[in-house]
Amino acid sequence: MSDTLVKPSSAQPAPAAPKRRRNWLAIAATAVGLVLLVLLPVIIGTEVAYLKVAQYILIGAVGGIGLTLLVGQAGQLSLAHPFFLLVGAVSYAVLSGEAEADLVGLGLPPVIGLIGAVAVSGLLGLAFAPVAGRLRGIYLGVASLSLVFLGLWLGQSLESLTGGTSSGRTPPTFELFGFAFANSEPAPTILGVAIQKQQRLWFLFLALAVIAYLLARGAVRSRIGRAWRAVRDNEAAAAAMGVNVTRVKAGAFVVSSAYAGLAGVMTALWLDLVKPDENEFTGNYSLTVAIAFLAIVIIGGLGSVPGAVFGAVVVYGLQQFFLLGANEFGWFADAEFGGLTAVVLSAFVYGTAVVLVVLFEPGGAAAIGRRLVGRRAPAPVPAAPGGRDTPERNDDDPRA
Amino acid sequence: MSAGTRDEAAVAAEPPTGLRDDVRELVVEDLTLRFGGITALDAVSFTVAPGTVHALIGPNGAGKSSCFNVISGLYRPTRDPAPREPGVRHRVRAPREVRYGDADLTALSPHKLAALGIGRSFQNIALSPGSTVRDNVLTGRHVLTRGGFLSGGLRLPRTVREERRHTARAEEICDFLGLADRLDTVVGVLPYGVAKRVDIARALAIEPTLLLLDEPAAGLNATETAQMAVTITGLRDALGISVLLVEHDMGLVMGIADRVSVLDFGRLIADGPPAEVQADPGVIRAYLGTGEDETDDETDGGATADGGGDGVPS
Repeated sequence: MSDTLVKPSSAQPAPAAPKRRRNWLAIAATAVGLVLLVLLPVIIGTEVAYLKVAQYILIGAVGGIGLTLLVGQAGQLSLAHPFFLLVGAVSYAVLSGEAEADLVGLGLPPVIGLIGAVAVSGLLGLAFAPVAGRLRGIYLGVASLSLVFLGLWLGQSLESLTGGTSSGRTPPTFELFGFAFANSEPAPTILGVAIQKQQRLWFLFLALAVIAYLLARGAVRSRIGRAWRAVRDNEAAAAAMGVNVTRVKAGAFVVSSAYAGLAGVMTALWLDLVKPDENEFTGNYSLTVAIAFLAIVIIGGLGSVPGAVFGAVVVYGLQQFFLLGANEFGWFADAEFGGLTAVVLSAFVYGTAVVLVVLFEPGGAAAIGRRLVGRRAPAPVPAAPGGRDTPERNDDDPRA
Repeated sequence: MSAGTRDEAAVAAEPPTGLRDDVRELVVEDLTLRFGGITALDAVSFTVAPGTVHALIGPNGAGKSSCFNVISGLYRPTRDPAPREPGVRHRVRAPREVRYGDADLTALSPHKLAALGIGRSFQNIALSPGSTVRDNVLTGRHVLTRGGFLSGGLRLPRTVREERRHTARAEEICDFLGLADRLDTVVGVLPYGVAKRVDIARALAIEPTLLLLDEPAAGLNATETAQMAVTITGLRDALGISVLLVEHDMGLVMGIADRVSVLDFGRLIADGPPAEVQADPGVIRAYLGTGEDETDDETDGGATADGGGDGVPS
């Protein structure tokens, strides 16, 4: 009776598995895309305002990637992202800033400050992990929301660190091996375009975002990514596979917080200012930002790293696009618009996008992208016995 | 036809691939589990000998799943505090009701079991529906591999090599279970019977020496159940490991088990080879209930419904 069974080491030829061919088209497209991104300051030229929009999108991308790993891959809902952004921004200013009258500053090299800020954010994420390990779903979301309020209060109380709500403090100029990310005279040029502070910051942000992206993609397709998904889908089964559920959940929170911390440092450099929010609804570390990051993750498709980048383009890009319109071309200046500002309008737009995604394509942009590329189109499969619905996503796909 | 796989002598003397020396004995001894006032398990003892297929059966609510969950570390046995006499120093020693080799399973977190070589499948498939078959089975390699966020994220050469090696092994295991052409299929779209095999493939991926199967035939049709029987005996023969299965399907159990333990109302009422257990009056009573007594009435014509338990028509 066991004759029909294939022995594990039998020499029976495996059915011709489709060889994973390198898709030269995709590689070429990626290369062209990267070159365009690197040359963006040249393409944009002197219109630095557009470059600022692009920089801002990268901040959203880095933070969004961190959140999609936590929410989409590890299955932990978090609204605490702005808190870790604030931690990152303030830590950078404290670690690398100079001590002034009322301000604490350690004066460390900015690279150390950046790495340290990421580490501090990750450690604070670890401190929250016991809570994250005990709650799930919407309960964890609400509990994590409390961190935003904690951040608001701490930011306003610890003026020696944050600079306070009235003036804030200036973050130290980023430097790498003696190369300052600031204006200089004379400035080096590429194709006739002077590479000044904003251009340099663009290159820095691009490098950080690419590193963040590649790390996340690698992690998702490796052992830790599988452990995240196992924990997300069934903790008992994950434990039976030897996954230390508590540790993996805590680890996901640490990674996500570290990403948020990096986005915080980038925010500080982008604004050239570290300033705690005045209230919980508006500002760079507020509830609005928590919702915006969630929108990035949902629009992009839960758990999809490229999706998070796309979501950042939609959410963070639109907001800055409308702001640009308001500043440059006087949009929304009409009183008839009834208090419609760039931020409010972009919130409406991405709010609509979230509703549309949830209604029509729960897999988000990642699922749409997969369908466009035409890979592994999910065949119309009748519902399996047991009533499990057909998932639209394939979140271990390294190319997802 | 191959030599009878259920031939006891053959198993003891010359198992197909030679008895591995790392397959240990699973001992359940005097195991008690209570939920409030309800005794789910009452001093249950049995032993899963290395290299055997051992079935744990019983009517609904007999305590099979509870027993299974204690073994896999999800429940802890209930231990009554020993009566203490004042002035006497009591040496407290953990009873170690469930042991695998030297390891005390009652003191381990569930995630430590995989490292001991104990794999388990789930009654209601507990796979990641959005991941491919290959990815799900690779999850079983967790304890056999190393690396966290950074080594995975950086795709260090060592990590990539390890990944490749373990992927090859996972695919081999899928091949073994007839899943070779489904490797890239997302689990959520698979038919139930195939998904069950993926669940077992994942449990096998931890390279277990003891495989715990929770109702492997639940929800399967007759053909799929027959296939499952072939799979279970086949993997025992090919890998030389022990299998403990909790099962409702008597046909499956009696066909493949080397030994059967029967639970009823939390007590072990029989333990032995299938044929012996099948003929056990207590087992027949537990499964057929009063119907068996009615049979008594017909044949003997005088036995009372309650007291006639001993008289079993042979």
